[in-house]
Amino acid sequence: MVALDGDYFRALETPRMAALAPNLIAAAFPLMKLMPARYILDRAVADGAFEARMRIVETTSGTFGMALALLSAARGYRLTLVSASSLVDAKYKARLDGLGAQMIITEDHAGDGDQLARLQRLDDIRRAEPNCFWPRQYDNPGNALAYARLAEQLVQTVGEIDCLVGCVGSGGSLCGTAMFLRAVFPHLIVIAVDTHRSILFGQPAGKRLLRGLGNSILPGNLRHDLIDEVHWVGGYPAFSEARRLLREHGIFQGPTSAAAALVGRWAASTRPGARIAVIMPDEGHRYAETVFDDAWLGALPGWPCSPPSEPREVTIVESGSEADWMRFIWARRSLDRIVDDEVKNEGRFR
Amino acid sequence: MAGISETAPNGKPLRRIGVGAASGHHGELLQGVFEDWNGQLHRGLVTLPLTRLVSKATFTCAATPDLTTRPGDKVKAGSAARKTLSHLGVAEGGFLHIKSNIPIGHGYGSSTADVVAAIHAVAAAHAVRLQPSRVSQLAVAAERASDALAFDGRAVLFAQREGAVLEDFGGSLPPLLLVGFKSIGGRPIDTLHLPPARYDSTEIQQFRVLRALIAYAVRYQDPNCLGRAATASALLSQRHLPKQHLERVIEIAEGSGACGVQVAHSGSLLGILFDHTGKNLRQRAESVAASVQRCGFCDVEFHQINDDGAPW
Repeated sequence: MVALDGDYFRALETPRMAALAPNLIAAAFPLMKLMPARYILDRAVADGAFEARMRIVETTSGTFGMALALLSAARGYRLTLVSASSLVDAKYKARLDGLGAQMIITEDHAGDGDQLARLQRLDDIRRAEPNCFWPRQYDNPGNALAYARLAEQLVQTVGEIDCLVGCVGSGGSLCGTAMFLRAVFPHLIVIAVDTHRSILFGQPAGKRLLRGLGNSILPGNLRHDLIDEVHWVGGYPAFSEARRLLREHGIFQGPTSAAAALVGRWAASTRPGARIAVIMPDEGHRYAETVFDDAWLGALPGWPCSPPSEPREVTIVESGSEADWMRFIWARRSLDRIVDDEVKNEGRFR
Repeated sequence: MAGISETAPNGKPLRRIGVGAASGHHGELLQGVFEDWNGQLHRGLVTLPLTRLVSKATFTCAATPDLTTRPGDKVKAGSAARKTLSHLGVAEGGFLHIKSNIPIGHGYGSSTADVVAAIHAVAAAHAVRLQPSRVSQLAVAAERASDALAFDGRAVLFAQREGAVLEDFGGSLPPLLLVGFKSIGGRPIDTLHLPPARYDSTEIQQFRVLRALIAYAVRYQDPNCLGRAATASALLSQRHLPKQHLERVIEIAEGSGACGVQVAHSGSLLGILFDHTGKNLRQRAESVAASVQRCGFCDVEFHQINDDGAPW
């Protein structure tokens, strides 16, 4: 009997490290969400919360669903994903179908991701089939805990880290990695990257051009008290940076990764003595016909535009255009605290 | 670490004698649970060796199966000698003598050092050189949980209850100066009667990062990363075997530009780690020695680690 070693998904969830500048290391993932998906499922199996015969249900627009679908295909799990019509393109849906995932797509006329309707559908499914497993990536502490592996890989590559830059969607990757790194580097500066009209750091909700970061609901895995500064990056600077990463570094990552890289590069140039790490969550293939297509880009209103070389400093949380990049000193405050402070400030200014 | 003399100068066979030695340590840089190559979790530790503390064993073969150990209370060393004889397929016993300058019960690894020295001595008396992994397995068999002393100067992540190496860091620790001291009223601790620590998921995940830091510290000979890992491990250990005034010791270390703080995870020792190549080393070491004494700690000592005889 032969027993060969080889863990495909462990390898696939491992980022490739790229030095984008002498003091800037980027962890470029093929599919970052495999890390929390695998950790959450493995923990649930170990705890007895999940058994192979149960169905997995999750509401997701993207890569967490893809990660669950890959693992489910390989392990023979049944999987149902609830998504919205504005979030899933035909090719991505075909890939998920091909992996054997059952797809439920809600009609999303407003184009805002339809989070509430999706949760309602998920609730209906769980009521009809009570014995199913809901990984809850937004609120499951396992999502953040999984990223100790990323912290481990960063430390193994560069040793001491002074500043961590990453996008926030569920909060898992940035807050998880930050929590584990700060336990060994108490001076660590944590920079969150969000996009305009995401509510995560206090902007009012609205239609977002840049997907894969931001959120219209507040996930439990976002720990505002870990965050030193917030950058809101619009679609346009992210798209330009994605093209630049490909052209100047040969790195083919999606626009979410690019938004993080843009902020990471700026942080590296303004803190030349610091060692900075940036998280890049997924590859560019999904955007071949959009961000990496000149005709698609050319059809955007106001394109081409020269991307800003630095963020605009703001002292109150406000919405920007898709061409804007803004920076706000968060100072590890809670979201409530920021809202309170702004109300007080407005009172003083009037 | 081991030697044998089989013949006297006049060519007549002597009674076969083997010697062995093993160093003590200053507790652990890191202790927790860690994955093996297969993803299984094991209890493991990284030892901070002290070459100045040594246990020396001499084993003299005898023609009868009897095994005598001196001093008589070195029961585990005697048991290790017996297990080594049995591993070698030798029915005859002998006389085992242990001479050690390692204090007992504070986390200096006196027991493991005796055990490892005894194993080396018995093997040497039978003209055998055992692999470190074999020595470790015999040591664990003799005393249930062991330290990584069989690996000499090599930094390894060691599964202390299985005697197996979880990770060989591929070199030795960077050069350090250790200012070691004991807790106020630090009494000897019977390590084997401590209940094994139970770690939660966050701690288990945090240990990954500490392990990676030590791997980096060994690969790049970076004492700062080593110190960071040790300090974090000391803080995690507080929930299991708390050290009084640890926070204050960390403050003292930070104030003097030390790399970090280290504790014996199942003993009463604490230490402040300095980069051996740092500036004004003696002055800073003496300053922290005075500070910890004022804080009430006792038995302050300076230990050189992997210094290669460099002056300081």
